[in-house]
Amino acid sequence: MTDQLVRTAPPTDPEAGAKRTAKRRRLRLTGLVILGWVAMFALWEYGSWWFGSRLLPRPLEVFQAGVEIVESGNFVTDFSASVLKTFAGFAVAAAVGAPIGYLMGRYNYWRAFFHDGVTIAGTIPAIVYAVMSLIAFGLSNLGPILAVALVSAPYIALNVAEGIRGVDKSLVTMSEAFGRTPQQIRREVLVPTIVPFVFAAIRMCFAVAWKVEALTEVFGGRNGVGFQIRTEYQLYDIAAVLAWMFLFIVFMLIIERLVLAKSEARLLAWRPQERSSAL
Amino acid sequence: MAVLTIKNLAKTFNVGTPRASRVLDDISFDVRGGTFVSIVGPSGCGKSTLLNIISGVEEHTSGDISLTSDSGGPARMGYVFQDPRLLPWRSVMKNMMYVQNDRSEATVGRCRKYLEMVGLTKNADFFPGQLSGGMQQRVGIARAFAVEPDLLLMDEPFSHLDAITARGLRAQLQDIWAQSKKTVVFVTHDVVEAVELSDRIIVLQPGGRIFEDITIDLPRPRRQTDPTVATLQAEVLGRLETMKAMARTPEAVA
Ligand SMILES: Nc1ncnc2c1ncn2[C@@H]1O[C@H](COP(=O)(O)OP(=O)(O)O)[C@@H](O)[C@H]1O
Ligand SMILES: [Mg+2]
Repeated sequence: MTDQLVRTAPPTDPEAGAKRTAKRRRLRLTGLVILGWVAMFALWEYGSWWFGSRLLPRPLEVFQAGVEIVESGNFVTDFSASVLKTFAGFAVAAAVGAPIGYLMGRYNYWRAFFHDGVTIAGTIPAIVYAVMSLIAFGLSNLGPILAVALVSAPYIALNVAEGIRGVDKSLVTMSEAFGRTPQQIRREVLVPTIVPFVFAAIRMCFAVAWKVEALTEVFGGRNGVGFQIRTEYQLYDIAAVLAWMFLFIVFMLIIERLVLAKSEARLLAWRPQERSSAL
Repeated sequence: MAVLTIKNLAKTFNVGTPRASRVLDDISFDVRGGTFVSIVGPSGCGKSTLLNIISGVEEHTSGDISLTSDSGGPARMGYVFQDPRLLPWRSVMKNMMYVQNDRSEATVGRCRKYLEMVGLTKNADFFPGQLSGGMQQRVGIARAFAVEPDLLLMDEPFSHLDAITARGLRAQLQDIWAQSKKTVVFVTHDVVEAVELSDRIIVLQPGGRIFEDITIDLPRPRRQTDPTVATLQAEVLGRLETMKAMARTPEAVA
């Protein structure tokens, strides 16, 4: 039996080894992602063969329809119409939800008053809001805006309230000790505290909001992606319906991942965990 | 001339409720301009409450406080807290500017000057989260000096720091104070620190009364290694021990 007293370092540079392992893992993951897509398209092809391509168009047909949509002018007008309506809905939701959230976060009385209503409003399925908005406005651009606003406002209110309650009292005391006015304290302490909460609310809502927006347009829009989907549906052009849908999904994901995430990282650059992703 | 005059000040928390508790009782003293006064006492004896009352963050129950300013306008106060209390979403420089009343060139220059005095010129654009605890506390000190206060209040500003950092900052504080000659009321539970820094030490006893008012007449700058400093520190410490012993056995006093 021998005791080994000298332990030698592994023969290779451990860092290089780690890098190689990481690279191999990345390659395998990429491979799996590609395999997933191939499987999905294969299933789709098979489905179109099974159901007939009138009912479920083949991927290539949908792709061609997509190219046509992009090439025609409608693309830009309808997309911007839908995006504008989504953001208009957000603006309304913020205008209503933020003050309610402020009151809820700041005063126990208002909290008691709003709490259950806001919670219930946040639990109602989005489709109910879509229907309510259609009933309220019929064929109009206001329906989708209202639907987005109704879906988003409760989240914004709850998150702003959460943010206000998270305000660091010691920073308020500091501000008072240095003779800062209530306005300055609101702008420099309160607002920066709730910004991350508002962003969380917007990101959470956005994922639901644009779907509700499109859905409301399908039934009562005068323009926008949902309106186009309805029009194509009435012409039994399922390939175009799917193409509009996919384009919209891609577009909204880009907004969500790039625009919202980037501006959030920028605004929250002061947070240690955000700093690396900013700039 | 006295910058701060306090007469028969008392503070009771939760007045008129069963939880009412008297924290400060019949406190009277005044602070002359340009002096460094320490308030020393065991934890819980009302030191922070006293500072908060002076700064106006807390109301007092009875008695008078008056503050005079050089300018004739309302007295300006600076406050250094136990923790840095910086806005995490603002850079160091913007934190300094936040407590200023104007955005003039002169004000910006003053902020830069004090930032330089605490050795943080290079970190002006850093966020507080990018600085160590000691550096953040230095920003807090620079911020308070930079408002050119008539009265500078400090509440155990070094007690959250490790011993070596705290010693460095005390030396730095002595230097800055020597240059600026601000009127300072400095709260601490650490007698050794108080002797090193102050012209005068007011000792509070549990129950919030003044136990003793000691003048510290030592040349500056004071070095920790100087035997006269050490002797005086030991002596004041001894007097404080007597006070604590008396507090434990009140009948022995009578
Ligand atoms: N807001 C408050 N309400 C009730 N009691 C308080 C409040 N603030 C401080 N106290 C009490 O007053 C006493 C003195 O507190 P403090 O001034 O913080 O002491 P020190 O700073 O000397 O350690 C403590 O017993 C504390 O519990
Ligand atoms: Mg205290």
